[in-house]
Order: sequence, then C-alpha cells, then structure tokens
Amino acid sequence: MMNKDLRSIAIENSDEITQEWLKEINQLKSVNYTEEISAELYDNNNQEFLNVIFHSIRGNGSTKVIKDFSDRIIQLGWPLSYITDGLLVFRKVTVNTILTKLEQSDGGFVSEIISSVDSWVEPIIRQLVNEYSVSWEQVVSLQRIALQELSAPLIPVMDNITIMPLIGTIDTERAKFIMENLLEGVMRHNAEVVLIDITGVPVVDTMVAHHLFQATEAVRLLGASCILVGIRPEIAQTIVNLGINFSNLPTKSTLKKGFMLALEITNKSIIEMDNKSQNMDDLLGFGKGSEITNENSNLKTT
Amino acid sequence: MRIPILKLHNYLLISIQTELDDQTAIQFQEDLLKQIHITEATGVVIDLTSVEVIDSFIAKVLGDVVSMSDLMGAKVVLTGIQPAVAMTLIELGIHMRNVPTALDLEQGLMKLHQELGE
Repeated sequence: MMNKDLRSIAIENSDEITQEWLKEINQLKSVNYTEEISAELYDNNNQEFLNVIFHSIRGNGSTKVIKDFSDRIIQLGWPLSYITDGLLVFRKVTVNTILTKLEQSDGGFVSEIISSVDSWVEPIIRQLVNEYSVSWEQVVSLQRIALQELSAPLIPVMDNITIMPLIGTIDTERAKFIMENLLEGVMRHNAEVVLIDITGVPVVDTMVAHHLFQATEAVRLLGASCILVGIRPEIAQTIVNLGINFSNLPTKSTLKKGFMLALEITNKSIIEMDNKSQNMDDLLGFGKGSEITNENSNLKTT
Repeated sequence: MRIPILKLHNYLLISIQTELDDQTAIQFQEDLLKQIHITEATGVVIDLTSVEVIDSFIAKVLGDVVSMSDLMGAKVVLTGIQPAVAMTLIELGIHMRNVPTALDLEQGLMKLHQELGE
C-alpha cells in the first residue's frame, strides 16, 4: 500500500529524478570511466538506462527488458561500475526527491522510503551484475579452451619425426595434458623420434624436469625416443645447480641440432641440391650441356 | 589359458590378446623359455597392442622374461604398448629401462634385425 504510493510518487516525478540523476552521473563520468565514449552515445545510453529502471519500477514484466539492455551494454563493453554507480545514484536521488515531495521527516518514514526504493533497485542490480558475471565466465572458459588447444601441439615434420614445441610455464595439469598428447601423437603419427622444444619454457625446476622425464620415459615404453631441445644457457645452469640428472635423455641446445640428431637416429640425411649458380649456368646454356640436371632429390633414406 | 608362441625364421612372435593374470604370465614365461631352447631363436617380439592393463607384477615378469631370454641368447623387443598403459607404468615408477621397445610389430622386427646385425 505504502510502497504503491511511493512508487507512484517516484513515477510522477520521474522528470525531476532524471534531471538530478544526470547531474550526478555526469560528475562521476569524469572520475572513472567512459573517457573514450562520445557524448551523444553516452547521453543516449543514460536515457535508455533510466527508461529501463522506470520500466522495472512500474513492474511490467521487466526482466526481459533488463536482459535486452544488459546484453547490449555488455556487447558494447560498458564497465560494470557504470551500472552499479548509476543505480546507487538513482537510489539516492529518488529517496531525496520523495522526501522533499512529502515534506515529512520522521525517522520511521525515512527508513520505510529507503527500504522500498531499495526493493525497486535491488532486483535490477542483481540481474545486471549476474548478466555481467555470466558473460565474464563465458569469456574465461573460452580462453581456457583456447589456451588448452595451444598448450601441447604436436607437429609431424617428416616421416617418423615429430616436434612438440612447448611455450609457457608447465604446471602439473598441463604436464599431464602434454604427456597424453605426446603419447597419442606418437601412436597416431607413427613417430620414431620426438623433439621436445623447451625454448619457450621460462623456468625449468625440479617439478618440470620430473614431468618431462616421465613423459620421455613413457614415450620410450611405446618404442619411440625423445630428444630435449632448446636448452638455453640459463636453463642449463638451473638444471645443473638443482642437481637434476638429464644424462639418460639426449639434449641439444637448438632445434636445428636436435633435428640433425633425429635424422641420424632415423637413418636419414639431408643432401644439398645442386649448386644454384651451376643450375643457372645450365639453364642459360653456359655449362657443358644445356640440359637441366635432374638431381633435385634432397632427401634420401639410407 | 596358454599364450600361443609363433615361430618365424629365427624369431619368435607372441601377440598377447588377453588380459594377463599372474598365473598366465608365469606360464607364459616358462613356455617362452622352453620354446627359445627348442627353436634356438635369436629374437623375440612380444606384441602388447591389445593389452589394456599391466600391473607391477606383470611388468616385473615381462622385465624378467627379457633378462632371461637375453641370458639364453635371444633378444626381446616389446611392441605396441598403449599410451594409457605407458602412463600407468611410469606413474607406478616402473621404467623397464633394460627393455627394448618399438611402436608396432613391423618396427619391432626391424629393430631386432638391426640389433642382431643380420
């Protein structure tokens, strides 16, 4: 009953509340957000925000309206602080306006006004904050998936030779994922040698070394072998200082050297193509014969 | 349950198609050593492609088989260990360092070939 009265007072004086609200919110504007938003867009959005609030106060099936509004502002990237500030200011302004209209100031009545205005504003805040947090959670989970896709890629570069470049910190969860991917990949690509490139791993401590060991041992059980490549000087220092023994795992400083070792293990070698200038000479007819040498096979299996 | 042991030229081929229990494993160990003695095989391939569980006892038996066969002059290669099996073994701390392994039967035979220098 009382609440209903207050509600109609608020709606009747909506213009006044709007004016006050805009004044207050414009003061806040300069302080924290919306530097890059144009004035026009800002005014439009304010107006829309107020419409949504009044719509909700009138109480006609408002959740849909709030949802549409929140979807839009989330899409546009308005900060959550704009919403919460806006609603807090609205609450203050509305309470003030109603108080001045009714010119009544005993304590019980004031608290009644505040609690009823609160009950208008609360569901809006709750819903908007919820919408925001849901959208953030979505973003986080998408990013987690993206990160996982990147966390243990396995690249077959040649028959029987596969490379796994690792970038970023390795924790237990990721190490498990790496091991699974590595073993599945060895089976799938029929790999004989796997090069694990740790150029992009910032820290190799005992835990990371332990995980790498486990992975390489497991790969060995499958019948393939691992070469650890990309060991930077500082990584070599930490490994030795920590007393980690990598002696039963072949290691190389660069992927290039590791690849050479892998070729050796798989009985392959790279043969340089014919000298380029020689080829040009042949093409232009300066050589002994004018035919093009046909020896362009650059890889042979011995 | 006896595990069949096939002879191919100088090699013995064993494909384990059942889940190994302790009894079967011991029986297999005896059978294989007997066969090596009879056939005078120089190489053995044990294929584990369809084995989904290897516990510590089976792993020990397999490791023993390899050492024993070595003593009898036959080189053993284990092939087709599944990723999940490999992971479990490593997590159990069973590294089977003295056991040569290969990805599949084909590569296992090739490995034997190389190691025996034939």
